[in-house]
Amino acid sequence: MYRKITFVVPEAPAQAAAPLAAQRALGKHGIRLGILDNHKGNADHLLAMIVEGLQGALPIASVVSLRKPTAVLAAPADMLDQLAQEADCVVSAMAD
Amino acid sequence: MSDLGVLLQTAGASFEVDEDHEALNRLCMERGWGDGLPVVPPSSERVERMLAYCDRPWDQPVARIAPRWGEATPIRLAANAVMAGCLPQYFPLVVLAIEAMCEEAFNLYGIQATTHLCAPLMIVNGPVVAELGLNFGHNAMGPGCQANAAIGRAIRLALLNIGGAIPGAGDMATFGAPIKFSYCVAENEAASPWEPLHVERGFPAEASTVTVLGAEAPHNVNDHESISGVGILKMIAGTAAITGSNDATLGGGQPLIIFGPEHAATVAADGYSKADVKRYLFEHAQVPFTHFSDEYIERRLKTRFPERFAAAGLNARVPIAKCAEDFMVIVVGGAGKHSAFTPTFGTTRSVTRALKRRDGEYASSVEEMRRI
Repeated sequence: MYRKITFVVPEAPAQAAAPLAAQRALGKHGIRLGILDNHKGNADHLLAMIVEGLQGALPIASVVSLRKPTAVLAAPADMLDQLAQEADCVVSAMAD
Repeated sequence: MSDLGVLLQTAGASFEVDEDHEALNRLCMERGWGDGLPVVPPSSERVERMLAYCDRPWDQPVARIAPRWGEATPIRLAANAVMAGCLPQYFPLVVLAIEAMCEEAFNLYGIQATTHLCAPLMIVNGPVVAELGLNFGHNAMGPGCQANAAIGRAIRLALLNIGGAIPGAGDMATFGAPIKFSYCVAENEAASPWEPLHVERGFPAEASTVTVLGAEAPHNVNDHESISGVGILKMIAGTAAITGSNDATLGGGQPLIIFGPEHAATVAADGYSKADVKRYLFEHAQVPFTHFSDEYIERRLKTRFPERFAAAGLNARVPIAKCAEDFMVIVVGGAGKHSAFTPTFGTTRSVTRALKRRDGEYASSVEEMRRI
């Protein structure tokens, strides 16, 4: 027989994502695609291939492509704000 | 019910279970709570003993740990410290180190998530070293000392369990490194001919501090032959001037030189102050252009730093820090003619924090951190 103990959970839950201010209805003219390049050496090549593939498969109306100043820091707030304003969805990728 | 008992009523904060150590360790492994080694089950009694050394609200976050941005409350930190095998009096240093590495300049987000094999190195200075029995002498960066091992492990468990540095998910390190189990050392202040790290950074000698640095494992500098200060410094500079380190990409890191006491004594006896040592290393620990591949020169050095290298010839050299002051120098270890070079993550700044009482004064003992 073992005695009962209260086990303290050592884990923190992930922060809940902020609720969307508005549902993003896709315009009838197509998808506004955002690209966030993480600044690694080959990210631009990989993302160019992805954009080309998506344009062939989906109605892409526009592409806004931004590059982080450095791979080792999170994207600056103004860059994320621009993507939020100008894109319906964002593809972010790393590629060494 | 104790204060902790009330706080643990929060949904998801705790659960009742049989005190079967083997079953509890299986549970931890299944839920991904740990580093792969057996842990001490964080029962509420053990956690409460740890929290006796925390004089701040137990359920209020002291920091948020990247990349999950999990809230590091004293309760969660204490649970991880128990799991790591900490004695309760170690807990103030665990909290202090977590606070330090969550300062923005440290860039914990990058250090946690990178493909690089770095980890936060914790350097302890001041009276707390003797009080807690931290090892600063022989094998100070190796096994055998509970304080070094358990405090370092508590940090890692918090980075995993609270910060979400889960291998292959939040932590994308290509290899990782053994330093990711525990990486905590104290400076051998008594054997240093120079001012200790915390005094160099403006703290009084009687303050106890923690300095965190996003670093690789140390690389040895074996020099049994040099009997002059400049000879030893030349050998250290040669070891540090390597092509593959992140510091050779001019990211802004602070390369750490860990002098063994014998090397330090020889260098200081020839008149070198700490500032002199840093100046020498800045000028001589530079990587010859010809040591880099042609592709690396073209694609990184000339492309990323055109103002410096676009027109550079093959006689150019790449410094491993932006300025002499960015080199860090400490003295660690026992007898032996060795020192060590510790490259950093690159885009990171070390952070030093002092152990302070609630009234803002420096604590002279961890006993002053007890909850009243």
